[in-house]
Amino acid sequence: MFRHVYPFAAIVGQEKLKLALLLNAVNPACGGVLLRGEKGTAKSTTVRALAALLPEIEVMEGCPYTCDPERPEDFCLDCKENVRRRVRRPIRVVTLPLNATEDRVSGGIDFAAAVKTGRRVFQPGLLAQAHRGILYVDEVNLLDDHIVDIILDAAASGWNLVEREGISFGHPSQFILVGTMNPEEGELRPQLLDRFGLCVEVRAETDLAQRLLLMQRREEFDADPASFLDRWQAENAKIAQQLAGARRLLPDIGFPEHLRTLVSEICTEHHVAGHRADLIMEQAARALAALQKHREVTVEHIREVAWLALVHRQREAAPPPPPPPPPEPDHQHPEPPESQTEPEQDQAPPPEMPPPPETPPGQEEIGPPEEEQQPEAEPPPRPEDQHQQTLEQIFAIGETFKVRKFTSPRDRLRRRGSGRRSRTRIAQKQGRYIKSTTVVRDGDLALDATLRAAAPHQQRRQGGNGLAVVLKPEDLREKIREKRIGNFLVFLVDASGSMGARGRMAASKGAIMSLLLDAYQKRDRIAMVSFRKQEAVVNLPPTSSIEVAAQLLREMPVGGRTPLAGGLAKSYELIRNYLLRDPTGRPMVILITDGKANVALGDQKPVPEALAMAGRLAQDERVRYIVVDTESQGLVHFGLARELAQAMAADYFQIEDLKADTLVNIAKENLS
Amino acid sequence: MKKRPVYPFVAIVGQEKMKLALILNVINPTLSGVLIRGEKGTAKSTAVRALADILPAIEVVQDCPFQLYPGEELEVCRGCPQVECSRRMLNHEPVPTVTRGIRVVELPVGATEDRVVGTMDLEHALKKGEKQIEPGLLAAAHRGILYVDEVNLLDDHVVDVLLDSAAMGVNTIEREGVSFSHPARFTLVGTMNPEEGELRPQLLDRFGLCVHIEGITDPQSRVAIMERRLAYDENPEAFCGQWEEASQQLVAQIEAARRLYPQVSIDQPLLYEIASYCLDVGVDGHRGDIIILKAAKTLAAFAGRSQVTKDDIDTAAELALPHRVRRQPLQDIVVDVRGRRQQVQGTA
Repeated sequence: MFRHVYPFAAIVGQEKLKLALLLNAVNPACGGVLLRGEKGTAKSTTVRALAALLPEIEVMEGCPYTCDPERPEDFCLDCKENVRRRVRRPIRVVTLPLNATEDRVSGGIDFAAAVKTGRRVFQPGLLAQAHRGILYVDEVNLLDDHIVDIILDAAASGWNLVEREGISFGHPSQFILVGTMNPEEGELRPQLLDRFGLCVEVRAETDLAQRLLLMQRREEFDADPASFLDRWQAENAKIAQQLAGARRLLPDIGFPEHLRTLVSEICTEHHVAGHRADLIMEQAARALAALQKHREVTVEHIREVAWLALVHRQREAAPPPPPPPPPEPDHQHPEPPESQTEPEQDQAPPPEMPPPPETPPGQEEIGPPEEEQQPEAEPPPRPEDQHQQTLEQIFAIGETFKVRKFTSPRDRLRRRGSGRRSRTRIAQKQGRYIKSTTVVRDGDLALDATLRAAAPHQQRRQGGNGLAVVLKPEDLREKIREKRIGNFLVFLVDASGSMGARGRMAASKGAIMSLLLDAYQKRDRIAMVSFRKQEAVVNLPPTSSIEVAAQLLREMPVGGRTPLAGGLAKSYELIRNYLLRDPTGRPMVILITDGKANVALGDQKPVPEALAMAGRLAQDERVRYIVVDTESQGLVHFGLARELAQAMAADYFQIEDLKADTLVNIAKENLS
Repeated sequence: MKKRPVYPFVAIVGQEKMKLALILNVINPTLSGVLIRGEKGTAKSTAVRALADILPAIEVVQDCPFQLYPGEELEVCRGCPQVECSRRMLNHEPVPTVTRGIRVVELPVGATEDRVVGTMDLEHALKKGEKQIEPGLLAAAHRGILYVDEVNLLDDHVVDVLLDSAAMGVNTIEREGVSFSHPARFTLVGTMNPEEGELRPQLLDRFGLCVHIEGITDPQSRVAIMERRLAYDENPEAFCGQWEEASQQLVAQIEAARRLYPQVSIDQPLLYEIASYCLDVGVDGHRGDIIILKAAKTLAAFAGRSQVTKDDIDTAAELALPHRVRRQPLQDIVVDVRGRRQQVQGTA
């Protein structure tokens, strides 16, 4: 609407992206596009450029719901009551801004009309505007969850149903959903991912000549947009014509029966979940055939569109296996005597060899590969070494993975902040409106509740200014909102010598790194405390710089004894200060340890002291504790970390349990 | 009380890269902003505030809350609270205008989202039963400079909104029963101290240029800084008077460069140089290429040349690439782009 739009025809390269958008423009049954890719690859430019090419549709004049004149049964009330003229206008691209509130997305009560006329009038939202058009969401992965749900729902049913603020209303809302995202900023939920018919992985051009062309065109456009547009007018018009032609042709495009088998074969081959891929592929192939003016879909068409429908749906045949391959063959080799002594461990001094039964695959997955890089990983656990305290090692960061969800429980406190971890009531004009309150604090007025409060008094009050509803200050109601915000995470890392045993530190570091990446995507604040030798140190005071934390983690040395109680005390000190500054904060302490305390703060024995301290810490209910046990779960294990977790009323995980995608977790999450 | 004059831009000692980056943005607003990274007390904020003095003037409709020029984006006027002015604009009647310097609008770190994007004027709604827009900072910053101090500490939601508008040049309000858009094309200038946390890559990429500044280590310059600061604090008027001529010169140079810019041309081989530079150091997307090209042309214009040279490109790349070089998640930003390229070429 504003400014000149860069012409579609002038976009250099990105053929896949253009194709996916055109297919959708030809055949809305393609189900939308998700554009995933790095920054600065013309994702948004292309979508906006598409708008200029779209053909016109017939609508009823002045209808805010874009009713289809051909389908009187779906008319909105206005169109049913009034006789309206049919007019033509181009298909619309409606942009959904990230900060849109629920009432504007699905529609809500029209406040002005309510006050002026005293009638309850529905004000249509973006979903009404986008009906029969394109709904464009830039950075769709950053959208608030509750907004995503509304869009999902409407996209799936083609109908927007509003049941809120005293309104019960529905209207058709069929749109092509186009979203862009940068995967670095966090992934989309699989649920939403599947809603997008097609998906394109957008990459920058690597061809020099293309990059050159791109620069020149952009510069020409910026220098003089109007004449640039003029120059490309003809090219653009050609595409627009092709598009319009294809739309007319589409209903007659045949889809030979034998190709259906091909489609379903392709889908099974790629382990696609559900049947949407099959349907989408067929529709996209038809659209492509129409674009190329073929009468019938051919194998070529399917080949060309198949990947678009598969890329975001194919399941990696089995996510867990990739790490095991190196160790697993060793295990299953038909040479029982040697299978217990794995080749990498041959160099290791024999005394520490694990007893044969101690090889649950889960542990071995992480263990051996790290040892390959760190053959010296073995020495530290020797008792002699621990006493010498001289051995310090820096381990590489092990395998990282997607972390399971963990959040703070809900409460009634209002907080400020942003992020995506735990739900809370929020003292900002953001988030989902859950109910209203009479406490007026910051002008976030709940219109529906205000009107309802004022309604009984209207007969007594006489409106002097011609308004149907007269409002008094005592009628005012404010919204209580809820959204997710980040937490404050304290990483309490055991860096003592025992952690270095058999590459466990590498695995632990991998786990911490995974938690850090998760913290970045959830926008948490973090701090890091480590304990080893005689004392605990705050390595990183509270910050949102995950980068610094990652750097520290890389360089964190391991060695020495385990002052567990000291570590607990240090982290509590940190949290106490944090809570003084932000009394409503909800810190979480993630303790990564094997629990083998051997340095005490006072005169007690180290382990009982740590347990006692843990018990005292548990009494502060504002803090949530999570214990990640790094001890290998063989025959001989002490289970100290588990005891500690119980004393602290903490959630207890082993590294394996932290993974989001293990089957057990999926089952657990579904059960609870 | 008379307004205290700001510390003159030309009187800032050293920090040439930062000054250059700011000037380039003044000459060519399509460079889309600067991110200044550096420690505390390195004249970051002083330089940005001082910019106001050397900015060229623009014509604006009088009292327009959206900083429009006559005839721009009439759709905005339909929702504008200035009834009389909107009527005239919509009827294409002449409206009073003023010529004023480009504005530097500051976005405080604590700003809430509704103040940034604008919101509904509730008082008006309750009294009159009409919805009215209360424009936010983005409206005020249209055609100007939006300055965010400590941009890395900004609330995430506000960052997302900024991203959105900076990318599209349009601010769209869809909240609380209000649906409204207005143009918001601004040059985004941010300062940050990386120790306090990094910016998200997505936002980083929106800044055209990025400079990394450090405290000056040369004793002579440090003395000069102290002397000038002292002189300024004692008598701001007199101090500014001293620098008036130098300021005027710079303004003239900027104006000349603005006029010259459209005529600046670049040879084909140099375009290849830009593209291969980006490929060598490994940059996500194409924004890097485009920005280098623009910055190099602007540099040439600033130097009074109508032909881009290899040096321009090197300088431009050092400004445009540090924050774009591809890195692993959670890795630090590359400061020395030239070194990185040599390293890559060395291994190749």
